[in-house]
Amino acid sequence: MSYPPQSPYGQPGYPPQQGGLPQQGGYPQPGYPPQQGGYPPQPGGYPQQPQQYGGPQAPLPQTAAGGPVVHDVTTLPSNDNVNPYAFSVDLNGQYFLQKGKMVAYYGNIQFHGIGHGPLDALIGRSFHSPLHAADWVVAEGQGKMILADRAFDLNSYDLEDGNLTVRSGNLLAFDPRLSLKQSIIPGFLTLIGTGKFVAASNGPVHFVEPPIRVDPQALVGWADCPSPCHHYDHSYMRGVLGGIRQLTGLGGVSGEEHQFEFIGAGQVLLQSSEKLMADINIGHVPAEAGIPGAGAPSQAGRQQPQQQLPNIPGLGNLGDLGRRFGL
Amino acid sequence: MWLVAQFRLQGSKVLAVDLMGDAVKARNGSMVAYSGQMSFKKLSGGGDGLRGMVTRRLTGEQMVVMEVKGQGTCYFADRATEVNLVRLNGETLYVEADNLLCTEATLHTGTSFTGLHGMTSGNGLFTTKVEGQGWAAVMSDGPAIILRVSQGMPLRVDPGAYIAHTGNLNRNFKSGAGFSTFFGEGGGEAVQIEFVGDGLVYVQPSERVTIGGDV
Repeated sequence: MSYPPQSPYGQPGYPPQQGGLPQQGGYPQPGYPPQQGGYPPQPGGYPQQPQQYGGPQAPLPQTAAGGPVVHDVTTLPSNDNVNPYAFSVDLNGQYFLQKGKMVAYYGNIQFHGIGHGPLDALIGRSFHSPLHAADWVVAEGQGKMILADRAFDLNSYDLEDGNLTVRSGNLLAFDPRLSLKQSIIPGFLTLIGTGKFVAASNGPVHFVEPPIRVDPQALVGWADCPSPCHHYDHSYMRGVLGGIRQLTGLGGVSGEEHQFEFIGAGQVLLQSSEKLMADINIGHVPAEAGIPGAGAPSQAGRQQPQQQLPNIPGLGNLGDLGRRFGL
Repeated sequence: MWLVAQFRLQGSKVLAVDLMGDAVKARNGSMVAYSGQMSFKKLSGGGDGLRGMVTRRLTGEQMVVMEVKGQGTCYFADRATEVNLVRLNGETLYVEADNLLCTEATLHTGTSFTGLHGMTSGNGLFTTKVEGQGWAAVMSDGPAIILRVSQGMPLRVDPGAYIAHTGNLNRNFKSGAGFSTFFGEGGGEAVQIEFVGDGLVYVQPSERVTIGGDV
């Protein structure tokens, strides 16, 4: 199945690229209304040319006058990218951001750690798993604030009564109107509601529609569609030879035998690199039966079948060879 | 006028300098290629002469530079960081020594006391100043964003993202660490540099690791 032409959430952050996905028309679902593009033409802003920040004729940011682009509080974009690596938030009220991602700001803004008394009500509304709230900061006040993260690519996403699940390390900042929850999938966070959030990725983000199988390292997140399942190229991994291949790499494993498979209707976000961004701690889940990632046995009292298999110390269980032979 | 070194960018990460028998000062070891005839000479103490050498040694604002002289084109780059060209017409550019890639020989470089905030920001108490007429090339992790500071509109910058500034600016150390820092969790943005006055501030979309911690 091919990927139909689409505009990712109406705001690509990266305008249509040569060789990339064809993007035209609006995203058909009501949850993501088309918005103005990631880089609207502004005086001193960044036109639709991601490689050349500011002008097609010059390698440096240039204005019509020929000098470099100089931003001030009025020319900084409002809730939009300054360049592919920096995002400007027009703050009037509150915003959540990951610790240490503010680069510069104009205006009167205070940064509060979470756990600060007067903000309890706000945190109660937006955070539904208090264990990871300590990694977040509330910016409060009026002004323009520039966010950036180690020169990674930043994109903003608008949710309108929608949901999007994103890898924990990639989420940078979000509007307090959204609520943030831990996903059942360990290491992922889900944003629910209406509002804007900013996420980082290693290289530009691409949007694809299910059904699709993606490389685990390239996955940034997904919206609306059901959570993915694992997919193995089973014909290659099956049997004794497959076990030896998996165990030793002899006979050639390409490293691409395992993917995530997405089905259903929605959008899958991929980064154009297989280098993951470091996860942030999203807190522990209670160690109860039936909770993925909690480390508790699925049913109390049940024997782990693993223990009955031949398990040679230092070698593990030989690529599950025992189970393959039905031992 | 054609005797003056021509600075241009080759892509966004490589600086190309056309030399006509004149010289530029560049970060030691930053040459990646050249065509024509070039000679490279290491300059001790940032090329500021004996006094500058002593000052740099004392202040810790170490800068190892080389003088590149010759005819042809010389290409400079450093760890694939973005290169930003700054044209100086008599102003002074204050820049972190680690971020200065190359300056025209007509520019004078020296050190300047930044005030006590340098200690907490991990950038040192001193910064490098470049003054005169000519081009300077400044490196940044990701393309630099230039922000204007004017009267009544001060700018506050994360020390880890600060690269350089020009103009008539006062730098103040501002502790954003309010009551909340001591009461529970820190705000994460505990230390900021406040710029007041008239001028331009260059910030990078990335943060150096600073002594002040994860700011």
